[in-house]
Amino acid sequence: MQKRSPLGTFGIYATVIFTCAALLFPIYWMILTALSPRTRLREYPPRFWPDDPQWGVFADLLATQPFALWMWNTILVAVATMILSLTVGVLAAYALSRHRLRGGQGLGLFILTSKMLPATLLVIPLFAIFKSLGLVGSLWSVVIAQATLIVPFATWMLKGYFDTIPPELEHAALVDGCSPLGALVRVVLPVAAPGLAATALYAFVISWSDFLYARTFLTTSESKWTLNVGIATLKGEFVTDWNTIMAASLMAAVPIIGVYLFLERYLVGGLSSGSDK
Amino acid sequence: MATIDFDNVQKSYGEVHAIRDFTLHVEDGDFCVFVGPSGCGKSTALKMLAGLEATSAGSISIGGRDVTELGPGKRDIAMVFQNYALYPHMSVRSNIGFGLKMRGQDKADINRKVEAAAETLELTSYLDRRPRALSGGQRQRVALGRAIVREPSAFLMDEPLSNLDAKLRVQTRSEIVNLQKRLGVTTIYVTHDQVEALTMATKIVVMRGGVIQQIGSPDTLFAEPANIFVAGFIGSPGMNFFRGPVEIENGRAQTRFGEQVVPLSVSPDRLPRDEAIFGIRPEHLRIGGEIGGTPVSLGLVESLGTEKILHFPTPEGQAIHSLQKVIGSDDAARDSTTMLARVIDDRRYSDGEHVRVALPEGKVHVFDPETQKALS
Repeated sequence: MQKRSPLGTFGIYATVIFTCAALLFPIYWMILTALSPRTRLREYPPRFWPDDPQWGVFADLLATQPFALWMWNTILVAVATMILSLTVGVLAAYALSRHRLRGGQGLGLFILTSKMLPATLLVIPLFAIFKSLGLVGSLWSVVIAQATLIVPFATWMLKGYFDTIPPELEHAALVDGCSPLGALVRVVLPVAAPGLAATALYAFVISWSDFLYARTFLTTSESKWTLNVGIATLKGEFVTDWNTIMAASLMAAVPIIGVYLFLERYLVGGLSSGSDK
Repeated sequence: MATIDFDNVQKSYGEVHAIRDFTLHVEDGDFCVFVGPSGCGKSTALKMLAGLEATSAGSISIGGRDVTELGPGKRDIAMVFQNYALYPHMSVRSNIGFGLKMRGQDKADINRKVEAAAETLELTSYLDRRPRALSGGQRQRVALGRAIVREPSAFLMDEPLSNLDAKLRVQTRSEIVNLQKRLGVTTIYVTHDQVEALTMATKIVVMRGGVIQQIGSPDTLFAEPANIFVAGFIGSPGMNFFRGPVEIENGRAQTRFGEQVVPLSVSPDRLPRDEAIFGIRPEHLRIGGEIGGTPVSLGLVESLGTEKILHFPTPEGQAIHSLQKVIGSDDAARDSTTMLARVIDDRRYSDGEHVRVALPEGKVHVFDPETQKALS
């Protein structure tokens, strides 16, 4: 390999540092706002680190707000959405990828077009449906609503992944004595682990960051509020406690980072290499 | 170990007939090779036998048991795939033992059988590796191990050597044949390579366009091809064809090859009246000699050491221009105006050299120009 020139190396480092700085700046600003004394929030020029960080803001948040409940509700919704979306997505994608279905291609495109409908368009009909089913105020309403958005994309993402897995792997599993579902579970899914991880992460992040559905379906039942709905209520009509809001937002971001770190190892592809030539 | 029977099996995809009237009996312990150009239906036939494709009509039996409606796992067969299809997330040990595990055998039994299979295939030191850490030849052996460990009634192999390089292919070819002989398991082997078919098979099924062209031993197919397609497909290089008159002299049939009069061993009443298609294998042509034969000018000399392939023009008016249509599109590269002779001697030949070519009596094949079938 040709040795890179010093200027080239500098260019690469400069680009990486600039990108990271741009991406991490909002998080830094959240930490700064959470820890700054309330009187200094609108100070100009701003200080880049508070002289006396208000670490107590996190304890205050946990003491004054049902933060743990919001977190628990959000985890329930995100995990259920992820499981539901993956289950439906895997089965749909596998069928589209492996079986020559009559009108299969059109069906695949139709699934994708449903992804193009904005959530705001779906929220009113969904509300009407959930009301008649008695689901409004239940976490299931948010789970199902989010799955309607996530499943189409998850299906396409997974179909693309299944297409890259040689069908001979399933044939071998069938000859070895697996049932078709057994071949999917024992052979295809483990090989598709990177694709599943990416899809799971996508579903989890989308669900975690949802505000519209949770706000619409859960407003009346306070005990079912998710993090985003709860944090939004911290913004008062006359006073907005930015320290607490930022502290809550920071704590809300921690599980996402955890999930990402856990799934990251599966996101690296190449597991299927070695099955064939 | 078992016999295999296809009884009038058909396969169609809508209007397209992939397999027609496929009837075949394979004896217990046979090494049967399905061979033909790509798209001839050989892999489809194998997949139907494996249960990976449904039949449109007809029935398939393994060991006298009708398996037409059974799933692949219930047919007691093992299959080796072209791309090996090893499970990438499992170790070599788990790959080989997976079929046994699926059949509910206990762990100690599985381990013992896997280790025995690994020893047979010299894979013992690789048992705990993943397939991606193996070379192509080793992966191929793991795929074979997965098949033999199950001790099935039949092995099905779908072009298992085509991903190996030329040297390894020749080596693995003989390994597979030896393994099959030792185990005595009925084997169906699919390939498009007629050299593989001739060297490995005890029985060859030549297919074209979803139809069986001929079934027979390698020697039968080489010496008595049933039609022009089989004659051209089997043998390397393939048979030379030319058009010639049919003449009757003193009650015996003869034709002409350039200046040479070639007596035919076919009885006159079986021959067409005016002309026929004749075939001669490149290794049967006699080159040299002072008298007899037809003088030709060599176009190209390919030397492989002692073996040489000599190219020379088909005598004027005797080339079959529609040969591609006759033999099939897969042989389109073959130039009908050129004939080949294969000689093994120490003589040096050069491009443009004039030699005499003679067709020995009894080596000329005669084909009906209408039906393309061999006349004998």
